[in-house]
Amino acid sequence: MSALVEYLISGVAIGCGFALVGSGFVAIFRVTEVINFAQGTFAVVAGFVAYSGLTSAGAPQGVAEALGVLAAGALGLAFGGAAIGRKHTSPLASLVITLGLAVTAYAGEIAIWGDQPISFSGLQGDFVLAGAHLLRQYLLVIGVALLVLLGLGVFFTRTYLGKGMTACASNRFAAEVVGISVRRMGLLSFALGGLLGGFAGVLLIPIQPLSFNSDIDLAISGFAAAIFGGLRSFEMALVGGLVLGVAESLVGGYVQASYETVVALGGMLLLMLWQARRRVELA
Amino acid sequence: MILLLAAASFLLPLWLSSANLTVYILLGLYAVTAIGLSLLMGLAGQVSLGQAVFFAIGAYTAAVLSLHGLSTVVALVLAPLLAAAVAAVVGVPILRLRGHHLAFATLAFQLIVLSVITNTPFLGGGLGFTAVPGLGIGKATLSSSLGYAWLTWGLTVVVMVVTLNLIRSRPGRALRALATSEAAAESVGVPVVRYKLAVFALSAAYAGVAGGIYVFFIGYASPGSFPVELSVELVVMVVIFGLGSVWGALFGAAGISVLMQVLNQVGTLHGMPQYMPTLLSYAAYGLILVVIVMFLPAGVLPGLRRLWARRPGGREDPMSRQIAPPIASLRSLLRSTRPKTTRADGTPSPEQTRRQ
Repeated sequence: MSALVEYLISGVAIGCGFALVGSGFVAIFRVTEVINFAQGTFAVVAGFVAYSGLTSAGAPQGVAEALGVLAAGALGLAFGGAAIGRKHTSPLASLVITLGLAVTAYAGEIAIWGDQPISFSGLQGDFVLAGAHLLRQYLLVIGVALLVLLGLGVFFTRTYLGKGMTACASNRFAAEVVGISVRRMGLLSFALGGLLGGFAGVLLIPIQPLSFNSDIDLAISGFAAAIFGGLRSFEMALVGGLVLGVAESLVGGYVQASYETVVALGGMLLLMLWQARRRVELA
Repeated sequence: MILLLAAASFLLPLWLSSANLTVYILLGLYAVTAIGLSLLMGLAGQVSLGQAVFFAIGAYTAAVLSLHGLSTVVALVLAPLLAAAVAAVVGVPILRLRGHHLAFATLAFQLIVLSVITNTPFLGGGLGFTAVPGLGIGKATLSSSLGYAWLTWGLTVVVMVVTLNLIRSRPGRALRALATSEAAAESVGVPVVRYKLAVFALSAAYAGVAGGIYVFFIGYASPGSFPVELSVELVVMVVIFGLGSVWGALFGAAGISVLMQVLNQVGTLHGMPQYMPTLLSYAAYGLILVVIVMFLPAGVLPGLRRLWARRPGGREDPMSRQIAPPIASLRSLLRSTRPKTTRADGTPSPEQTRRQ
């Protein structure tokens, strides 16, 4: 019983991380129709920057993480400039560009932080729930992730900027007509994607150490979460992330840890195929 | 010209040092794989970010069969066949997906296969196989690198001849048509599903045979030999000189292999940190990919040709189209101007469906 509780809570925490990465995919895809392959890079860079802030710059906990998230946001803006800055770049070409950017980022990450996995301790201590000893960091991850996603909801429904982005998502042409710059909104969506990925990175790095090429796993898991809502719904990305996180955690706990990724990837494939089939039937 | 190039590349191994001979052989094997990927991505318009998986399947087929006592030649013949069979089976569901969905699906497939290999003791697990025998019939084995170099050369020539003929054939034109618009191709009677599956299987077979030779030459195979980075590397090779062109894939593989060798030598110079070679290769791959797709989406050669045609007083050479016809399909792939109401994967957006 206590083992089950442990798997569930840790699965939910990891799943919240996936949901944040997935929300980054959604934020960018909705506005630009681009799949940002470098979504995992944001998380890795944010985690690394926070690590440097804590260790070499001596910044207090909290400030270092905030720096990491902001760095990821800035990186997102820069990547967006490359991916959609030039006119007539098709979404598929943008995907290849972001893939190239992710690989280029490897070089920078190795140059600054080396090629070994990095971690730092987040919230110290643990707590007991139903006989299971759990890290406090899990609660922090869940709490912050939910707050961020809630804030995202407020941003998209209550602010001008958010409404402008939603307008671009629903009809680009009409958005242009009423004076919204679709390109600027696209760049902003990349910055937003960077921030969201950054949150995931600084929250997850105390639980699972990240190395420069952890971005592929993060991006795949985030994409799998985002695909739950057809890459257009933040709520479904959260649901997807939770399902994925819990499923991975249960498989890892009860079956074999090395099958975690197979379950996640297989689930994503099946989901995509099911969605494609449904689209064909609708058409 | 072509004969000269063929003769030069045939005779080149005689003068190469053993380290450079290894580069030559790997170059040829990557070229064969890249030509298959170019066919799939450039001609048929299907993006694959997991092409290295078929290289791995070919290598593992050859390694497992020969380690269980089967003749290495038979194992090498079976390697592409199994790779193609896997592609044909997996392709049935996966090729329903388009665009970025297909890209992620192929990547996911590679990761799944690598994970399964790592967890299966029969396939050597995470450590992989060592001491894979060399290629040969009975007692006569191919022991020198020179032999492998010429074998690879022969394979590359055969693959190029087959592919160039395929591109010019009726199925080749049909593939180009379906890359531009599947609906249009279907409406003029192209069996879209079957052709997509066939080209997927063919590209897998190319990768499979290259993987088979690779494992006999290197004598070693582990999941780490076929990482996602290898798939990305193949994409870079295919994109750099023009997607969909056989010569482009060949020169792309050659250019990247030589560049990586140079960077590797620079990175291992005295006083460089240990991670320098990796760092340099990532920087090169990433930047090449970004710069090419941003500024020369048709690849370096067609891009330069177009710039040359645009010079003052220049006119576009009508032959350039005929020499490299598949480039047109690349432009449609990378620069498609779709109506804004369609999603990236080509299906109507909810708004559009509602309006109908």
